[in-house]
Amino acid sequence: MKDIFAIARTHVVTALRERVTLFWFLIFPLFLLTLLSLIFGSVTDNEDVQFVISLIAYPQSAADLPFSASAAIEEAFTEMATPDASGRAPLFVLHVPSDGQDLEAFLDAEVTELRRGRRAAVLVLPEDFDRQAMTALSDASSAVAGARLYMSSTNVASETASSIIDQVFAELDRNLLSRMGRFDESQAVRDVTEWVGQAESEVAYIDFALPAIVLMGFFTSGLFGVPGAILFNRDLKVLRRYWVTPLSVSRYLAGFGLGHLSLCALQFVLIVLVGTYGFGASIRFSSPTAIATLILAVVTFMAFGFLITSLVRTANAGMATANILNMPMMFLSGMFFPVANLPAFMKVVILANPVTYLLESLRQSVGAQEGTMMPSPWTYVVPLLWIAFSTLVATRRLRWDVER
Amino acid sequence: MANAPILQVADLTKHYGDTRAVDGISFAVPSACVFTILGPNGAGKTTTLEILEGIRQPDSGKLILFGEPMTRVDRNAKQRMGVLLQEGGFEPQLRVHEVIHLFASFFDHHLPVDDVLKMVALEEKARAQVRTLSGGQRQRMAVGVALVNDPDVVFLDEPTTGLDPQARRNMWDIVTTLRERGKTIILTTHYMEEAEALSDTVCVMDHGKIIAEGSPRTLTGRLGEETLIEFRMDAIENDDLVHLRTFCQAVHVDGLHVTLETSDLPQTMGELLTWSKQGAVPFHDLHVRQPNLEDVFLALTGRTLRE
Repeated sequence: MKDIFAIARTHVVTALRERVTLFWFLIFPLFLLTLLSLIFGSVTDNEDVQFVISLIAYPQSAADLPFSASAAIEEAFTEMATPDASGRAPLFVLHVPSDGQDLEAFLDAEVTELRRGRRAAVLVLPEDFDRQAMTALSDASSAVAGARLYMSSTNVASETASSIIDQVFAELDRNLLSRMGRFDESQAVRDVTEWVGQAESEVAYIDFALPAIVLMGFFTSGLFGVPGAILFNRDLKVLRRYWVTPLSVSRYLAGFGLGHLSLCALQFVLIVLVGTYGFGASIRFSSPTAIATLILAVVTFMAFGFLITSLVRTANAGMATANILNMPMMFLSGMFFPVANLPAFMKVVILANPVTYLLESLRQSVGAQEGTMMPSPWTYVVPLLWIAFSTLVATRRLRWDVER
Repeated sequence: MANAPILQVADLTKHYGDTRAVDGISFAVPSACVFTILGPNGAGKTTTLEILEGIRQPDSGKLILFGEPMTRVDRNAKQRMGVLLQEGGFEPQLRVHEVIHLFASFFDHHLPVDDVLKMVALEEKARAQVRTLSGGQRQRMAVGVALVNDPDVVFLDEPTTGLDPQARRNMWDIVTTLRERGKTIILTTHYMEEAEALSDTVCVMDHGKIIAEGSPRTLTGRLGEETLIEFRMDAIENDDLVHLRTFCQAVHVDGLHVTLETSDLPQTMGELLTWSKQGAVPFHDLHVRQPNLEDVFLALTGRTLRE
């Protein structure tokens, strides 16, 4: 075993003395963690999500109606733009024309703001809106009351705001029909919304992202760090010196793997410390499932690194191959966005991708995700199959030097 | 030198495509001697050594190492071998003692790291990183790596190529010490003076074949008892050559450089000086020497080792 420990120690020592390796192993994951937390940490907090909209209600031509739909809408949006008792930020920031302001000019200005992305939507209630609404509510066969909604097709926030406004209108519609006695609330078909996953406790973004960052650190270390270290050593003829000693390829890989595992442990500790004390992450990786998944992840990605190493001739070719695998493996895994609705052919890749299982297993084990795409055994079977296949190929194909 | 062979090869061949790098060579190496494979670049020296080191598999031929026939050098044989590769690197971030310690871990039995450092005179550089070493120091460390398991056979492939004269002398001292300690050393070189200074047996290779084998004295002795007189002229006419041949056994001309072979040095020297004085023929860099391995190679191939 002394040869295996010596190789492991050598790998750790050389990595820690090499600035480039240090950057990719330790600095880059921490940098990414900081960046993602700063960018997405604030955006996805529900209490901070707000839509800036404009509401322009023209003076209504009919004043003799039993009630005013436009007034009800103005009231509803004003309420949704008012902070609640707990001080929580309202859903909408509402822009309305001031008294005596030219409404057409205001509308033009607000639509311009919408085009510039400074408004999520502009809602206009025309002069005869109340009359049209009353007609529509009295007679189901008549035309629908015409409020105009301006939105930007290139703005995601605009699409979200418009769907919320649609819901507000649907709710108002139902209220008005109830008031007119044309809608029996008790006989209405209702949908029952059942929240799954994090219904009881909201997961902070850092808790959602931290397992992905940890896994991504292991992933890049395995896919790039392992072929990089071995193939650069082969290019430098370092491995050639091992060739003339009793050391075998399999024992070399075992020693290298042990060293890599140690480096990943160091990387993990640093990321979790920064995540916990720097960004307030509350998840813990202390459960046996989490620890098993972490070790499985390191070994899986390292085995991928061994596989790449054994299939190419130079370090440059190794880096190119790792780059080719990097994108599909990382993005078709649910690391950064949900993959449930992707096309069927992509799901084949997702199902064969060990990152999918490892990420899901890690998120579940630390309580950052509930529910699963896959039955539990596959969480371990798929990565283990990859480890077996990659290690087998690497021990058979890896050469100390490229033959002439 | 009547020791039993520690290594024997017979009809060894190795091809790279259509090129016959090693073409049916046979030799035996007794234990506790320095066996040198001498030849120009591309002669097949390194390929031969790499087969003996276990790096390459021969296409055909027999190999008997430590009395055991084998088709390829196995793990047990490697436990008793030390190898200095012509092409081989070290991780630049490692310290010298870490490198020695790493390689020591590959063997069942090894020398203490401090002893190895002392053997190659690198005690003061033990904590220096490889990247800070000079070429000579790095080569000494590589020798230390080759000796870490206290091997019975040491393979040194071009051990002094690229070294300055002082570092080359240091390497020669190490080889001499190893021989005195009873190690068998198999080295390749294209430096004639190195082969002459270190070798018990020299095996001269060219185009993958062995063209001569024996001790340096035996090989040079085959050229006869002639002494060589060398000098340089400003210009050489045909009449000059005709006249020179009258008082020596043979004349060789290489540009303006002339070599005379003679079995009667005083007489030839007298004739040469008289001819120079009477005919007002100036010559420069006159010196007298005995034939060496370079002359052996020249006589056998018509080329010099450096061509």
